[in-house]
Formats: sequence, structure tokens, C-alpha cells
Amino acid sequence: MSASLEDPLARLAGPTVDPRRLAGVLAWLVDPARSIAGLRRAVPTTDGGGMEAVAAGIDAVVRPPEAHIAPVIAALVEVWLGLGVRVATIGDSAYPDRLRAGWPHLDAPPLLAWRGQPPTTGPTVAIVGARRATGYGTGVAAWLASAVADAGARVLSGGAVGIDAAAHLAALEAPGGTTVVLGCGHAVRYPRPHAGPGGLFERILDHGGSLISEQLPHAPASPYNVRARNRIVAALADVVVVVEGGARSGALVTATEAAERGTTVLAVPGDVRAPGSVAPHRLLADGAGPCTSPADLLEVLGAPPAVDGPRRPDELDPDAQDGPSGVTVLPRDVHAELAAAWPRPVPIDELADRTGRAAPALLGALTRARVAGETADDASGVRLRRAPR
Amino acid sequence: MSRPVATVHAVALVGLDPRPVRVEAVCTQGLPTTRLIGLPDSAVREAADRVRTGAVRSGASWPKDKLVVNLAPADLPKVGTGFDLAIACAVLAASGQIPDEALDGLWAVGEVGLDGTVRAVPGVLPAAAGARQHGARTLLVPDAAGPEAALVEGLRVVPVSDLAEVVAVLLEQAPARRSVAVPPVETIVVDDLRDVRGQAVARRAVELAAAGGHHLLLAGPPGCGKTMLARRLHGLLPELEVDQALEVAAVHSLAGERRPDEPLSLTPPMREPHHTVSAAGLIGGGTGIPRPGELALANHGVLLLDELLETPRWVLDALRQPLERGEVVITRSRATVRYPASVLLVAATNPCPCGHLGSPTRSCTCRPDRIERYRARLSGPLLDRLDVQVELRPVDRDRLVGPADGEDTATVAARVRNARARAADRWGPGRLTRDVPSEPVRATVVAPALRALASAIDHLGLSARGFDRCLRVARTVADLDDSEVVRTEHVDEAVAYRLPDVVAVP
Repeated sequence: MSASLEDPLARLAGPTVDPRRLAGVLAWLVDPARSIAGLRRAVPTTDGGGMEAVAAGIDAVVRPPEAHIAPVIAALVEVWLGLGVRVATIGDSAYPDRLRAGWPHLDAPPLLAWRGQPPTTGPTVAIVGARRATGYGTGVAAWLASAVADAGARVLSGGAVGIDAAAHLAALEAPGGTTVVLGCGHAVRYPRPHAGPGGLFERILDHGGSLISEQLPHAPASPYNVRARNRIVAALADVVVVVEGGARSGALVTATEAAERGTTVLAVPGDVRAPGSVAPHRLLADGAGPCTSPADLLEVLGAPPAVDGPRRPDELDPDAQDGPSGVTVLPRDVHAELAAAWPRPVPIDELADRTGRAAPALLGALTRARVAGETADDASGVRLRRAPR
Repeated sequence: MSRPVATVHAVALVGLDPRPVRVEAVCTQGLPTTRLIGLPDSAVREAADRVRTGAVRSGASWPKDKLVVNLAPADLPKVGTGFDLAIACAVLAASGQIPDEALDGLWAVGEVGLDGTVRAVPGVLPAAAGARQHGARTLLVPDAAGPEAALVEGLRVVPVSDLAEVVAVLLEQAPARRSVAVPPVETIVVDDLRDVRGQAVARRAVELAAAGGHHLLLAGPPGCGKTMLARRLHGLLPELEVDQALEVAAVHSLAGERRPDEPLSLTPPMREPHHTVSAAGLIGGGTGIPRPGELALANHGVLLLDELLETPRWVLDALRQPLERGEVVITRSRATVRYPASVLLVAATNPCPCGHLGSPTRSCTCRPDRIERYRARLSGPLLDRLDVQVELRPVDRDRLVGPADGEDTATVAARVRNARARAADRWGPGRLTRDVPSEPVRATVVAPALRALASAIDHLGLSARGFDRCLRVARTVADLDDSEVVRTEHVDEAVAYRLPDVVAVP
């Protein structure tokens, strides 16, 4: 390996990663005739072998970059370094164990690149679902995500709009944090609304979350790449819950991958007539467990169910409409309307109609509640962020 | 002995900018030819044939000497047929058919036909304003354009129907008629805000936009009332001041969008270009001297861009600078032209390419990534300039057939007038809160409100660029609330009119 490459590779890899092996894997991947899948096939099967065996298998296959490839790799590394990306190969200790456990049959990626926190191995819940989600779906996803992240588990999802985004957003500030598995390289701005400046991804990084990708920096979000990332979501999670999805949803891919690994798959029941209920209902029919509250997820993790499910409407005490802290910044009638619809969002015009409040005062109150973290914006209205008591 | 040079003035319009043109004619010895010099375009060059034939048909004679007509300054391009009348007057004087004294302070605008008829040309109003500004005493105009030119005060506007009348008037053989302006008409509100059912937030947004001049974004499925609300917003705008109305009429006259005998309208203009409009159609353009586009035609009024996201990105990008500066500057090979363009932009858009996303009755057929791409086109600099953003939902049928449930235009317009008066007291006459720099706006905001806004921007993931835009909207909320200072509750409401940057697709 040329001396000019050694220093940037070492900066990219960090102390626990062997830069020579990384250079070899990159040299393999930038070769147009080779691919990630090809590398997996080329490395001899090391069933039962540990980290060293996998590392040795890779070392036997990859070669140091030749002189004409070194500049290409140097350019790649510069892009990654510019984005603040760190990288580990499958033979390194920074590479998550549970992802390597799938090697080679379950297609563990030879290389993992991340921004923000390194991929953790603590209790992790994958919350996945459709991009075209309903207010019910995003509401439930946000409820599950905030509750499990509050209980200290990490939320994992794909970073797409819809269910994924609702889950990431809800877990943003909670102790467990959130992790995005990208379907493209780190240098690709996809999905546009999330990857732009001030977008969801930037906020996730600001709040100590992480973005993971198995791809080289400029790999596009092709349908193949996006589907392939679902196996990483499945591998990194202790439990996968599917919130909404159509008949051909990528969430079904994630669920199948998880089931093959023996990971628990749960599904959130939906409206039987809604197109977004096809995937969860099919999973339920195939034997997945129903997920009706965060407690179902925490039970799988083995944690004590710290979060209660919603009470039935008839259990609701009409005089205690305030939030968990006992104080709400919302007017009581507004809070009551939101609590009644929860976890579905309520359109603001409808809220104005039902409470008879004028738009200016109502909008002001809703802003205060948003800033206080009581409510969240949804594409179809406003909803409470926490289960009403 | 050759006669002295006869001079009549005309006006060349460079955009709206009237430049005086001296039309000089002189008869010298030589072959009986007519030379027209001074950078004429082909329409002006043909003037010689029109005027000559027209003059002869009207009973005047055409000089039998060599005739030279010069349009000075010779380096200013002259476009169109409006110089005909001045050329005719100058030639008649140069050949001694009318006395030189009759040309004193005489300006003329109009096209001459082969039979001697004087015909209307576009842009008589800005030409008349320019003539007065440059010291004209009398302006000869085509008959039809008389009322329009007479809108300019301090100028004797004499309408003429043909060259025979011109000669008679200048020889004082016939009394000069005098054009009078048609009195301005009052605004008639056709589209009342009362017709809007439900939509409490959108109504309020429309009121805010009217009061502060804030650009408005209405996003929602087809049939939820976007165009309807935009028309109501137009009805909420106060009547124009006379000088504003004259500015509007001048641009419309130039663009040929105004009948010359129309009374001066005090109603702010409203333009609704189709979404296939080109950049030149929106901004202005054309060969030679650029003509006004929709932006200039909507000056002091409302520009409604429906189906905003169907308009190509680069056309939309062309809007950014004019919106910021309140004027359009177009440079072409022949001239750089400025048109006033102080418009209130109402942008309406569907939530997705098929339009039915989020509709309770129709299902959306768009692929999610297409929706993402569609929405991404709205992001960035243009979205930033749309201060008030609301998402509309379709109104349910019970609501539509039920009784009207909101305030009417007269009630809301009174509040808008009051708020505008407050803003004008503070910023200066005619200035809208939209156009005020951020410092003076900040000076009227109480400290807790500034802190509340900073915290809201931080918590809600809004862009920092939105800070001052929110403050301006909050300033207008306070004006509508009759408050001299901007308090926290005003800021809280203003924040609600920014759609989150992270938009989930339902």
C-alpha cells in the first residue's frame, strides 16, 4: 500500500480497524468486475469461526490496491472523511457482532460505514413500514418509538419518509436514540427532504444518533440497494415491528430476513380495509405476534414493561385530561380532542371546528404545545406525542 | 433659401421609462426624396410612407424638395408606430403648411393611417406622463386614447381624429377639443370571503397575507378552494392610491392590456398566468425593448401561480430576485428595462403529482419517491420567500351545503385596512411589512417573544433563515391585533404558518 493512502485510511478507520484490510476490501469493491456479493462468495465459509477466522478469510482473498487503483480509493476516502464517516470491515472489532453472525449465508456486508455514533449492540427495536403511511400509522410508529427509546432501547429504521421518519423523529431526543440504515452511500442526498441541510438526518446526528450504510459513498438509492439494506435492519434488531405496508412493501422483506435469523417479528394490526394494512395482516396470518402497545416490544427485549398501553376511552377520567406530568400547555378542550383521537392526528381546521376556537388563538396554543414537546406535526394534522392518561 | 428646422417632440418608451425624442424635419434642395434617420426600427422607417400618403389624402401637400427627418437623440432605438403623428406635424411645419409657433411646446403620440386617420398606440399613458415631466404643454393624441392621456394632470391633451383635424387645430381654424379623464371607478367585491366554508386557518392566512403583503403558499388537493381563497385575498386588498393606479394603468397600457377609454381602476390587479407560462412571459421579455410580463402586470396586486410545481424550476427561480427587490430588471441587447413589480405572490400547489394525496375520498396513485421529488422542488429559496404557508384539506359535503359560517369580506377588509394603516404609520406611507428590513421589525418585538421564536425554530427543526420571516408575519399578526409591540402570542401564531421542513408523506 502506498504511503499516501495509509494516513487517510487510518483516519477513516479508527484505532480498532486494520487499514490494510480496509484498503484491500475497498480495492475489491472499486473494481468494476467485482461487487459486495462477489466478495461474500469469494471468502471461504468459516462457519463457527470467530472474528479472526473471518478476517483471515478476507485477507486471503483481497489484495493491496494496485498503483492505478490507489488514487480512486484515495478519492473515495476523501469523500468519506469530508462527510465525517467512519468505516469498519467485517473482520474488525468495531463491526457489530450480530451483523457478522449472518456471515456468509445471510449476506452480512463486508464493510460498514457510519456517521455519528458507531453501530451499537444494545437492545434495539426496528420499526419499519410504508412510505405512504396514514396518520394512524405514523401516530402508532411514533408512539412505539418514543416509548421504547424512553425505556433505553435503540430505535432502528430505514430513514425513508412515512413510518420510518415518524419513528426516527419520535426517538430523536429519548435516551435510547435512533439509528438509520441508509439504502444509498453517504454522499447521496436521499431521500431529499431528509438528507438536506436542516433535515431529519442532520437532526439525528445532532442528537447523537447514527446513520449506517454498507455502500461506497456515491452508490445510488437504487431499488436493489434499498431492498438490500433491509437485511441489515433485520440483522441489527432484537425485534422487528411492521407498522404499515402494502402487498409489496419493503417492510415484508425486513420481516422475512428477521424471521430467517430467528428474530421476533411483530405486526401492528390496522384497518382491515386500508391498503396499508396488507403487509402487517399477512404477517399476523403467517404467525407474527400482534403489537398493540410498546409493552409488547419491551417484553421481547426482556425489559420490564415500563410503559403502559393506552387506556380504553371509558377508563379515561374526564377531569384528568392533562399529560403525564400533570400539566399541559394546551387548553383543556383542545387536549381532550387530541386525546380522543390519539394516536391519530387531527387536522387543525377540524380542531378549530370542534372546539369553536378562533384560528389565531388555536394556532398559537398549538405552537406552544409543539415547542413544549407535547404535540407533533403530522402530514394530516396534529397529534399528541405521548399516550394520554 | 431653405426653411428653418421644424421640431416636434414625441416619446420613446424604454420599458416604462419615457425618453423625450425630438422629431426634426427640414426641407433642403435636392431630389424629392424622404430620408428618415435616427435609429428607426422597421415600423418607424415605414412611417414615411404612411405619413406621406395620409397627409396627401387629408388635403395637405408633401414637400417637392429633399426632406430629412431626424429622430434625436440618434443613438436611442425608436420602436413602433407612435412617432407617426410627430413626424407628420414636423413635416407640415417644415414645408410651411403650419406656422412654427404652433409647434411651441407641442408633443404628439399616435399612428397615422393611409387615409390620414390618427390611430391609437399602446403606452399612451406612460408617454403622456413623460411628456408632462419633460415640459410639454400640449399633447396631441389619437381620439380613442384621449381619456387615458388625460389621466395625467397638468397637461393639455388634445384628441385628434385625422391629419386634417391636426392641421385645422394647429392653424387655429378649428377649436381644439379637450380630453377629460373618466373618473376612477370604485372597487366592486364580487368574491366574498363569506362563500368560503370552514377552512379557519386558511381564512386567517389570507387575512394575514392581505394585511402584511406576505407571499402565500396554499397546498392542498384539487377542489379544496385554493383559487377561491386567492380570489378572496384579492378582494381583501385595499383600493390603490391614485399614483399606484396610474402606475398599474401605465404598464397595462404599454402591454396593450387596457382599453384607452377605460376609467382608471383603483382595484389592484390580479393575474393568473397558466402554469405553462415561460420565463419571458412571467418576467417580461421579447426582442428589442423587453415588454412587461405577468409580474409587472400584477404590480400592486396579486400574482396567482396555480399548480406551482408544474411550472419548470428555472422559471420559478427567475421569480426570486424580482420578489426580493419589488421590481423586474431585464437586460436585452437594445436596452435595460425596469418594471415595478411589487406583487403579492399566491402560490397554489397540489400535495402530489396526481393531487389526491391526503384526500379522504380519492386515493393517490403516485409512487412515494415521485411525491418526494415533487415536494423537493418546492424546497429551497422560493419556499423561503413564501412567508405564510398553509395546507388545505377538502371541505366535507355537509359543510358545503350548510349555512355560511365565517366573516364576510367587508369585516375582514376593515381589519386589513386598519393593520395596513398601522404598518404605514410605522414604516412610512405605502410600505408593507413584507418589504421592511429585519432590524426595524426586531426593534418592535419584546425580548421574551424573540426568545420564544428562537426556541421554536430550534425545537421544530425550522430553518434559521425563517427567523426574520416569522418575525415579519408576527409583526402583521400584532398589527391585526392592534398592538404596537410584538408579543409572544403573536410569534406563536406566526410560527404555525411555516410548514415543517421535514414533511412526512401521509
